[in-house]
Amino acid sequence: MAMPYPEVLHEIAQGDPAVWGVSIDCWWFISGLASEFPERAIEVGIAEQNGVGIAAGLALCGKVPFVHGMVPFVTMRSFEQVRTDIGYQHLNVKIVGAYSGGLEQGPWGCTHHGVEDVALMRLVPGMTVVLPADAWEAEQAARALAALDGPAYIQLRGGELARAGERSFQLGRASVLRPGGDVTIVACGALVGEALAAADMLVGKGVDARVLNMHTVKPLDRDAVLKAAAETRGLVTLEEHTIVGGLGGAVAEVLAEQPSVPLRRLGLPDTFAKRTAGRAELLETYGMTARHAAEAAIELLEGHNA
Amino acid sequence: MGEDIESLKERARRIRVHIVRMAGISDTHAGGSLSLADTAAALYFRVLRYDAERPAWEDRDRVVLSKGHCVPAFYGAFAELGLLGPVEPLRHLATDGRLPGHANLRTPGIDATTGSLGHGLSMGVGMALAGRADRRSFRTFVVLGDGELQEGSCWEGAMSAGHYGLDALAAIVDCNGYQARSDVSTEGTMALEPLSDKWMSFGWAVRRIDGHDMSAVVDTLEAVPLEPGKPSAVIADTVKGRGVSFLERGHDHYSRLTGEQAAAALQELGE
Repeated sequence: MAMPYPEVLHEIAQGDPAVWGVSIDCWWFISGLASEFPERAIEVGIAEQNGVGIAAGLALCGKVPFVHGMVPFVTMRSFEQVRTDIGYQHLNVKIVGAYSGGLEQGPWGCTHHGVEDVALMRLVPGMTVVLPADAWEAEQAARALAALDGPAYIQLRGGELARAGERSFQLGRASVLRPGGDVTIVACGALVGEALAAADMLVGKGVDARVLNMHTVKPLDRDAVLKAAAETRGLVTLEEHTIVGGLGGAVAEVLAEQPSVPLRRLGLPDTFAKRTAGRAELLETYGMTARHAAEAAIELLEGHNA
Repeated sequence: MGEDIESLKERARRIRVHIVRMAGISDTHAGGSLSLADTAAALYFRVLRYDAERPAWEDRDRVVLSKGHCVPAFYGAFAELGLLGPVEPLRHLATDGRLPGHANLRTPGIDATTGSLGHGLSMGVGMALAGRADRRSFRTFVVLGDGELQEGSCWEGAMSAGHYGLDALAAIVDCNGYQARSDVSTEGTMALEPLSDKWMSFGWAVRRIDGHDMSAVVDTLEAVPLEPGKPSAVIADTVKGRGVSFLERGHDHYSRLTGEQAAAALQELGE
């Protein structure tokens, strides 16, 4: 059974006295750490720029701050602090998009949709970008990022993978959740489960799909992408993020420099998800479900264009 | 170190000479650097716990130059400290990477990379929090411009420093009265007054001084923390371009001096 993130962070802090927790009005994520190490827990209130800037100052004094905020705000409001204070100085700060990732907050509206974080964080040189698929992977990722000397972003989200089985996690290395030789579905974060479900649907159509869990979007596992391009007939990417600049963009950047490889990118099209609807309905409306991924794979194999 | 007032004034003059020479070689924010020269001299030759032999000493006082474009004033001080090696004149914006146009960690003596305004105070708050948790006695000085205070992030930083009662943190506002435009003052661009009241209302102990009165600068900075349990704000009223008459106040924000101008400026500075 996976440990809840606040307990994971608490344990990491017990093992490393340099680890601090910074909360941008989401104290519960650092409350475990704070209960034992109050001096290493900082609440900044609703002030993303200050939270990230303070983390930079802490890191300049040798601390390893984990900064927690809501996905859209900690990545957008403080983007310049992330890029300049953390990225440019290459500081050992972990930006944690603690909640409100993807379309999780569906009917609350586009202010609360976190669908640009991967694109933005990926822009920062030296930044590691991780989207765990579930709580187990979030725990592995948090521990791996604590051990990594450098800036990182993690979106704490994801569902529960029905078929976890024997699993391993290595930063920067895609997990092959299902082998397959016809087509490859590459997914990250909360939609990895949909990718597995799509592969199940494809079995009925006689299609053997490989499923790659690309939990680390940066640095992207180029080898896994190139291997999939060589060993299967095309790739479908699936992410709960705008199709501009996220996982699909990253995979496309790799494939664009290769001889022609069929690729379909599924994600939020270049639009605001304006419909007032729940997450499941928005995923359906904008084409990010298992069924959409399976259909895209079939179309790709049949040589249809999007 | 602890130099006396007369030697500090000579240090400030030397810093101004370095700034003018840099401005004679390449584009330089000369006005905002010249206004800061007295503060830079007071910090590095009197106020700071600092050892030029060990610029990375853990217990050194920290300085974050939040108005990072005015780093020529610090380059001048660093040159006087011998941190930059035998370079004469200093080559600001030199493409050999030694003296970039904004404060950068790569330069010995610089404690934080800056250049985008409104970032330094938060980093200073982080440093002060780290020092307090580690029971270290270093102080953190953040140098801001007055125009910079138009950035909202400065006030997020100010609010948190007051909230946390960081008395090892000091903000020095180099209040030279002008920003990008030379025909309109900072107050006319976006009013900041009453500035002391603003800092006080955020929980800071405030002192407003003549930033070119070396005794006042030294006495005030040496008195930090101005009140126990509160961060200190030193609002230093200065003159943009101070020391070179034709650069004062109304001159362009970005200055590159002709050979003639540089010679006239150096003469005015007694070189």
